[in-house]
Amino acid sequence: MTRIAAVADIHVGADSVGRVAAGMRHLNERADLLLLGGDLTRCGEPIEAELVARELADAGVDIPIVAVLGNHDHHAGRTAEVVGILGDAGVVVLDGSATTVGVGGMTVGIAGTKGFGGGFAGANATAFGEPAMKAFVNETRREAAGLHDALVAVRPRADRVIALLHYAPVPETLRGERLEIYPFLGSHLLAEAIDTAGADVVVHGHAHNGSERGVTPGGIRVRNVAQPVIQRAYRIYDLGEPTVREAPVAATG
Amino acid sequence: MAEPSEYLVHHIQDALATDPRARELGVDVQVAGDRVVLTGTAATPAQRAAIAEVVDELTGGYEVVNEMAVLSADEDGPVEELT
Repeated sequence: MTRIAAVADIHVGADSVGRVAAGMRHLNERADLLLLGGDLTRCGEPIEAELVARELADAGVDIPIVAVLGNHDHHAGRTAEVVGILGDAGVVVLDGSATTVGVGGMTVGIAGTKGFGGGFAGANATAFGEPAMKAFVNETRREAAGLHDALVAVRPRADRVIALLHYAPVPETLRGERLEIYPFLGSHLLAEAIDTAGADVVVHGHAHNGSERGVTPGGIRVRNVAQPVIQRAYRIYDLGEPTVREAPVAATG
Repeated sequence: MAEPSEYLVHHIQDALATDPRARELGVDVQVAGDRVVLTGTAATPAQRAAIAEVVDELTGGYEVVNEMAVLSADEDGPVEELT
């Protein structure tokens, strides 16, 4: 039994002191790993990252913590400092990269990136016309490619693989949001990268008025753990027991 | 002439994103008659109050109806099996 706690969009600011810690006091007994799906801070100020670190310490969280940043964490333009502060607090921050964690008798691989917008198949932005439009779409392409490569790299080393994002890869977990803002909430390029590379579960945030459950076109389950959606300190997902993997069969002929 | 409500909604949302007291993109703003109704979820009770304050300062004669929720820190909840 491997239990993953996940939450996104905790938006820690100066007035949040004690709130996150209060919600994570029993986390160590309830989960083996904590995933943070971006927007840890309200504006991406280093002082806010220090508050996040302090909240996790005050709650006594000593299970592994893996995170991606969100758009709020980018606002102040000080992401390197934010990542450094979180790293000093033991939080592994992924950005087109992957890590593995040994928990519950299995190796869990997490490939993560922030992601970006652009919309979904049939109503998506294309890299055409003005440089700003091309830059917008190419930013999402870059994020999707980074996620794809991280998933491919981690898969052989893991019993279960989780894709961790801030932006949404599918529209199903946006249900409840206004249709007009879907292009700012996620992109199908992220789902395509995940379906192509393979994963067991996708966790994201960002869509505060969305829905918790969705699935990629390839059938991979997607969970939106934005705190306003899950209405609690975190959600827990049980990845089950470790499975015995068969050795790859050598190609013949 | 009073500002059309569509523009007012946009100006309110811009202010909520940029005002250091608020810094919130997830506020649903509706202008109905002489009322501005705010829904969505604030990170803390203080942010919830600050959002209403920013809107009140910007809109002047409108009544601000603050129906925003605050994030729950409740730890209890079911475990979902994803095996």
